Amino acid sequence: MSDHFKGKEAIQHIVEVQANGVVSSSEIHGAETPGFLFALTDAARETTAALVLLFVLCNFFEFLPDQLFMLLFSFSAGWACWKFGRASWLATSRLERLHRVMDEERHEIEYNRAQEKEELKALYRAKGFQGKLLDDVVDVLMADGDRALRVMLEEELGFRLDENEHPLLQGLGAFLGVVAASGLLLLAYNTASQVALVVTAVCLFAISCYVTAKREHNKSIPAIVWNLAIALFASVVAYFCMKFIASE
Amino acid sequence: MNTETSVAVPIGRRRKQEFVVRDFFELGLEESASPFLTPLARRISRNLPLKVSIGAALLLLLAYITSFQPHLYPLAAIMLAAVYIMVGVPALINSVEDILLRRDCNIDVLMTLAAFSAIFIGSGFEGALLLVLFALSGAIEDTVSLKAKNALIQLHRLVPLKAYVIEEGELKERAVQDVALGTLVLVRAGEIVPLDGIVVEGASSVNMVHLTGEATPIRRIKGDEVPSGARVIEGSLTVRVTHLSHDSTVSRIVQLITQAQSQKPLLERWFDRFSRQYALTIITISCVVALGLPFFLDLSYLGREGSVYRSLAFLITASPCALILAVPIAYLSALGASARKGIVLKGGVVFDALNRCSIVAFDKTGTLTLGELSLDEVVSNEILSYAASLERNAVHPIAKAIVKKCQAEEIPFCEVQEVEVIPGYGVQGKIGNEMAFIGDLSHALTLLPKEQARFFEEEAKQSQSQGKIIAALVIANRGYLFAFSDKARPGVTRMLLSLKKLGRRFLMLTGDHYESAKPLAKQVGIDDFEADLKPEDKLKRISALSEKEGLAMVGDGINDAPALARATVGICMGQVGSATARGAADVILLHDNIELLDWLFAKAAKTKKIVVQNLCIAIVAIVAGSIPALYGVLPLWLAVIVHEGGTVLVGLNALRLLKD
Repeated sequence: MSDHFKGKEAIQHIVEVQANGVVSSSEIHGAETPGFLFALTDAARETTAALVLLFVLCNFFEFLPDQLFMLLFSFSAGWACWKFGRASWLATSRLERLHRVMDEERHEIEYNRAQEKEELKALYRAKGFQGKLLDDVVDVLMADGDRALRVMLEEELGFRLDENEHPLLQGLGAFLGVVAASGLLLLAYNTASQVALVVTAVCLFAISCYVTAKREHNKSIPAIVWNLAIALFASVVAYFCMKFIASE
Repeated sequence: MNTETSVAVPIGRRRKQEFVVRDFFELGLEESASPFLTPLARRISRNLPLKVSIGAALLLLLAYITSFQPHLYPLAAIMLAAVYIMVGVPALINSVEDILLRRDCNIDVLMTLAAFSAIFIGSGFEGALLLVLFALSGAIEDTVSLKAKNALIQLHRLVPLKAYVIEEGELKERAVQDVALGTLVLVRAGEIVPLDGIVVEGASSVNMVHLTGEATPIRRIKGDEVPSGARVIEGSLTVRVTHLSHDSTVSRIVQLITQAQSQKPLLERWFDRFSRQYALTIITISCVVALGLPFFLDLSYLGREGSVYRSLAFLITASPCALILAVPIAYLSALGASARKGIVLKGGVVFDALNRCSIVAFDKTGTLTLGELSLDEVVSNEILSYAASLERNAVHPIAKAIVKKCQAEEIPFCEVQEVEVIPGYGVQGKIGNEMAFIGDLSHALTLLPKEQARFFEEEAKQSQSQGKIIAALVIANRGYLFAFSDKARPGVTRMLLSLKKLGRRFLMLTGDHYESAKPLAKQVGIDDFEADLKPEDKLKRISALSEKEGLAMVGDGINDAPALARATVGICMGQVGSATARGAADVILLHDNIELLDWLFAKAAKTKKIVVQNLCIAIVAIVAGSIPALYGVLPLWLAVIVHEGGTVLVGLNALRLLKD
């Protein structure tokens, strides 16, 4: 006998594989991707976009380089706090929602067992289980409240257990993303030229988009090009809007 | 039976967090037990409010130091704002929820109002100090109560979740709540009976130590009742379910303990009601002072001498944080320290009751004694070798006692062939050319010639009348008796001596024979003992003594339950104690750690002392702060120091109880 089942019963193996499949597919179709790294790359990208936009707009005013530097620096400091708090809050709020749904599901399993059993049956019938095999799978799952809850959360709702990072850690990711992006951009602006700032911004976009795409198993080149194009478009719109208003 | 298999999570990881989901709900959706979080994130969440409070305290200190440098003042302001975010926002959320959702105006609302109002009169540092100290005391309280909760969660794990039911001749795994009355359940060797029922097939010894306190397994055969929570030792039992899961013996134990957890001492309950009235009064007086004082005195509204400033100083100093905290934090600390030692008290009020007890009464078997058998005398080394060789692989306590004795005496085992367990009765096998049996007396008698059986039975009865437990060996048509007795728990003698020094008297009340009670009483140093007592006799004796003077009763069995309930304080052994006894008791010694009784009495005395000290500190802080504040002689910063100083002192004083 091969090691295909890894010491488990065939039914358990099938259930495990199907559960993993549902979880994986739910990610591709827009499930949130929380985590330190995502928060970092996302914050870096947004910071780069915000600073570039600010820089473009500030060119219409006669700021001295030092004044512009101070403005961008102070903006970055406030922005870092906002991103830290916002990312932490979003993660906390997500966790609260997960806990609430889990509690509701547990209540259902405990007090509406017949309906939950039917739900499980429907779920596994759709996966191809039939007759006695279907009854056996559902019975095994329903025999243990914890196990039934896990299956419902993972299969029915597409949640992942033991995978979420702490909200504060996600906030820290966002904070570091802002610090890294704004630090590099301001350094480039202060030590080199405006061209260096633009080059740094392009690099930051490219790197953060590449990391995110790789992590999500998406194609990296379209991700980089699309994001750069959108940022460029936003800058162009901001520039010409300002120019239009100023000329009126 | 308790080993769970994974469905969607790899087995290795699943085992590591076997109880994560259950713990999460039993802890009240506590973030630090969230199944969604990674283990690292769960560690970060542990005591997070305490960590944040400490961080805020350090940040406030840094902000205060920085504020002395004028050019660094903006940095100090940023840090101060961070402190308000860290500890002020949670307080604000709680207060707004209290007012809007619970229609409650309590001490928290009072404190938050004072802290945030301080910003508007340029006293942001004082307001932040108030919030930091308030958050610290709240976080410490949370940490202590979480520890007590964790200790009790271990008890919940006694409850089996699944049962193997026999349906149409097939064995199926079912959740206990899905098992209907009358269903047949199979319980195999080593498994725990999931639901109360009657044995319809099979025989086995079952260990009911968690339920009845009786460490010696009891034989269960067709027609006998078995409670949920009993462990099947050998063979298997088919049980017809007689009670549903929510009504089973083990569920009732868990329910009783959970209910008892929510009990509050009278003083604490009074403070809860008082808190609301007091907060409303103080807020009203503050408003009257802030708005009305300029009409009667030559005062402005704003400024350091103004009425708003005075009313805020009054609001802060008159807040009874220290008073409110004085009693519960002392009880909580003492409860936490006790839980850490494996002693669960059903509320802080038990400490008060313990202080009133001048007599401690003890049950004998399972309480003062271990409930573990030891073999008293041996006929010969050869017979002991036969017995030990037969019992070598058995898990019954009698078997263990025989094998232990054989090993201690360094007697070699002999070869046994055709070993067979007779579930519920004993073991048989072939030694040399002779068939041998060891185990239950009634079965042994059937193997002996009639005349010898009669003589053997009389001999056994004589030993049994001395409180001894009997096992019989039959080999070559001859019977040999093995008598076992129970030993005193280690540390009992020292504990009794220590209790005597604390001014307590004690007595032993037992249903056992006088002959078996006397040697033990002498061994542990108890002069006053009464034997041959029925449960009603014990109850009568306990009632009389409890009415005359406070009495603490320590017991374990179902027969002790009435006395435990009637005593001023009932103390029950957690592991060997019966479910009924645990329900009736006020204190549960989770690890049967009776040797800690003197520690518990000393802790009760210390708790009382600290509660009195705390009340004095709190009243002095309120009076010394609020009156000068109204007269305008107390600056806001000093008002905060006086008020919070009192609160911190009360907290620190109570935390002394956490020490062992």
